[in-house]
Amino acid sequence: MPTDSPLAALDDGALARRIAGAGGAPDTPAEAELYRRLAPRVRLYGLRHLRDRTAAADLAQQVLLMTIERLRAGEVREPERIASFVLGAARMTAIEMKRGERRREELLEKWAPAFAGATEAEAFEMREPLVLDPDRLAGCLEGLAERERSVVVMSFFADKPADQVGAELGITGGNVRVIRHRALGRLRECMGADV
Amino acid sequence: MCKDPIALETLAGWWLGELPASEAERVEAHFFACAHCAGRAEWLAALSEGVRVALRSGAFGMAVSAPFVEEMKRAGLRLREYRNDPGGRLNCTMAADDDAVVSRLRAPLAGVKRLDMVQRVEVPGAPALEIRLDDVPFDPASGEVLLVLPPAALKKMPAHTASMRLFAVGGQEARLLGEYTFSHTPS
Repeated sequence: MPTDSPLAALDDGALARRIAGAGGAPDTPAEAELYRRLAPRVRLYGLRHLRDRTAAADLAQQVLLMTIERLRAGEVREPERIASFVLGAARMTAIEMKRGERRREELLEKWAPAFAGATEAEAFEMREPLVLDPDRLAGCLEGLAERERSVVVMSFFADKPADQVGAELGITGGNVRVIRHRALGRLRECMGADV
Repeated sequence: MCKDPIALETLAGWWLGELPASEAERVEAHFFACAHCAGRAEWLAALSEGVRVALRSGAFGMAVSAPFVEEMKRAGLRLREYRNDPGGRLNCTMAADDDAVVSRLRAPLAGVKRLDMVQRVEVPGAPALEIRLDDVPFDPASGEVLLVLPPAALKKMPAHTASMRLFAVGGQEARLLGEYTFSHTPS
């Protein structure tokens, strides 16, 4: 979606109202824009709670397809609070996926038929997840102080909370958070993170 | 741009599962409605993946804990481990299919607050190289310091001798805890 598109100026709620106001007919440009914005956030939620990239991508696809279908059908009570609706749907679906109550195939069977049109399906694109340049990251990690590097790697290699890292290194969780905070700031600066 | 961005440390706490449920829900509600903070949280997710890739690439070394060594093994990394005592001398190598070498240096760590290390590398026919590492992390209760040597660099090294000296540092004083020597032969 070009940034000078009229849709780019609409906030999430306005997009949702536009989809809901189309009388059940697909508003493909608005739906695609909503998908483009919100699917990566659902995928991020899925990565955090499911810790599986494929499952997170499936979650994002299913939640957004369901959301758009509900908007079209006028079943979202407050379209202006669409982010809240999507988060709720992500929570419920992730819980079901974790319990093994929902398999990917079942979800696809449930929501895919509403989007059978090739043009619509192609319009819904989720950008690839952010990937950090591996060589640059390795160089930035190498540039950290010994304790900072150990804390960052031990924390993020297995996504481990500060108290656990601290227990393994004989320091408090509070100390780990202080070291981690400083190290993350240095890493973001070194990596040229712009968000 | 977000008017009230969530602190990066809070986002890190969310990503690493540290926050109470109510706080985690508040964070999620915020970034679902905020592209700026969602982008910062996504950077942390990318960092997790990047750290795993970087560690596997062997581009850097670091001090680790004993449980972390087990995590590396569970993640499928092939590790070669050497245990050395103060004053000890060991022959060592690193095979082409090893992902990392872990040096486990036993030391009297009880009561030690800060640990510095001086590593001296001697390659025949070349000037000796001395590297100082300040404030090396360790678990005092474990009685050992665990070091993952930079794997990619180690694989390229010719036969050499590496000696590591551990110092307990307190105030202006540095007390030698032990010296450990490794005679490395390429595999």
